[in-house]
Amino acid sequence: MTAPPPRSLGEALREALPAYEAPEALREWARAQASSEMHSLDRASKRRDIRRFAYAAGLVAALAIGWSGARIFHASGDGSRAQVLVTALVDTHVRSLMADHLTDVESSDHHTVKPWFAGKVPFAPNVPELQSQGFPLIGGRAEFVAGHTAAALVYGRGPHTINLFIWPSSASDAGAPTATYNGYALAHWSSHGLTYWAVTDAASSELEAFKRAYVASLQ
Amino acid sequence: MVLPHLNAAYTLARYLTKDVNEAEDATQEAILRAVRYVHTLRNDADARAWLLAIVRRECYGGRQHRIDTVAFDDVPELQLVDQGAQTDAAANRSMLQHRIREVVAALPDGLRETLILRELQQCSYDEIATITEVPLGTVMSRLSRARARVAEALGSLASFEEGYG
Repeated sequence: MTAPPPRSLGEALREALPAYEAPEALREWARAQASSEMHSLDRASKRRDIRRFAYAAGLVAALAIGWSGARIFHASGDGSRAQVLVTALVDTHVRSLMADHLTDVESSDHHTVKPWFAGKVPFAPNVPELQSQGFPLIGGRAEFVAGHTAAALVYGRGPHTINLFIWPSSASDAGAPTATYNGYALAHWSSHGLTYWAVTDAASSELEAFKRAYVASLQ
Repeated sequence: MVLPHLNAAYTLARYLTKDVNEAEDATQEAILRAVRYVHTLRNDADARAWLLAIVRRECYGGRQHRIDTVAFDDVPELQLVDQGAQTDAAANRSMLQHRIREVVAALPDGLRETLILRELQQCSYDEIATITEVPLGTVMSRLSRARARVAEALGSLASFEEGYG
């Protein structure tokens, strides 16, 4: 406020006219476009709706994953179980965003989401509401992931989506507690005979926070 | 190639379309095009001007070319005067800036795009000629007309005491 008055018209203009920053979703989308050579998908993924940008990025990433994943396994022959599972989880996450099939039951009320799973999956997943921790409940759906009938809980984190896959498991499953795969973050834990896998395009630190919030809500 | 200039592209789109959604749309279309035709770009140094040219075409092509001027909120002078919170100088300053935005938004497209590319994006005259698809002489005359309009509008502002050329 105490800055000297502009000395030239150009200076006055630059002071008065903001240089805009492209919205983050647009930037992400552009990054995906730039790194992709699958131009045939461009048209299909173009939507006015800004939220679609993230989905489009996911679409491109999914193809890249499928493609590069296939190549890696093919080249090295190292299709370890853990890696296969991680790939399957990320694929499922991405597909859930692509296909307009994020939720079978859409509700931010756990009294709606939890009962919905009865009869769909052979266990009763915990469905805490984590809105106050910044993870609004979006809904849930039934999934079949890497040979498991799973409950998928869907939480939001800003513009990002978190898929939490849950299935019964007696042993602690193969896989490190965290992983990243083609830019997706994964977190894994087991509790009370259930295995949990959370997948997101948000930062892995956000996913850690989500895991803490979820686990704490069950205590 | 495209990403480093994304903000410049989006900024230009904002000023040309004067609409957030249209700007996003145009930027998006432009990126699709740019990614598809990036192999036609011979020189990396031209990438920014090249992208801005695509953005500009998308801004004008993707809609009915509007000639009307944007309706700004009325009574800007009264809104901006808050003597309790601002010194006179600061109030004058923000009034001035508001007035500049108003004048720039009301400029005809040809003048506004030239002014934005030059003053905000700091493009060279040659680049502007390429981007806006007019001869160099036209760039010069548009720029001077745009500046004159802004200066004229500012000169009529009572609170404006510094000399603008």
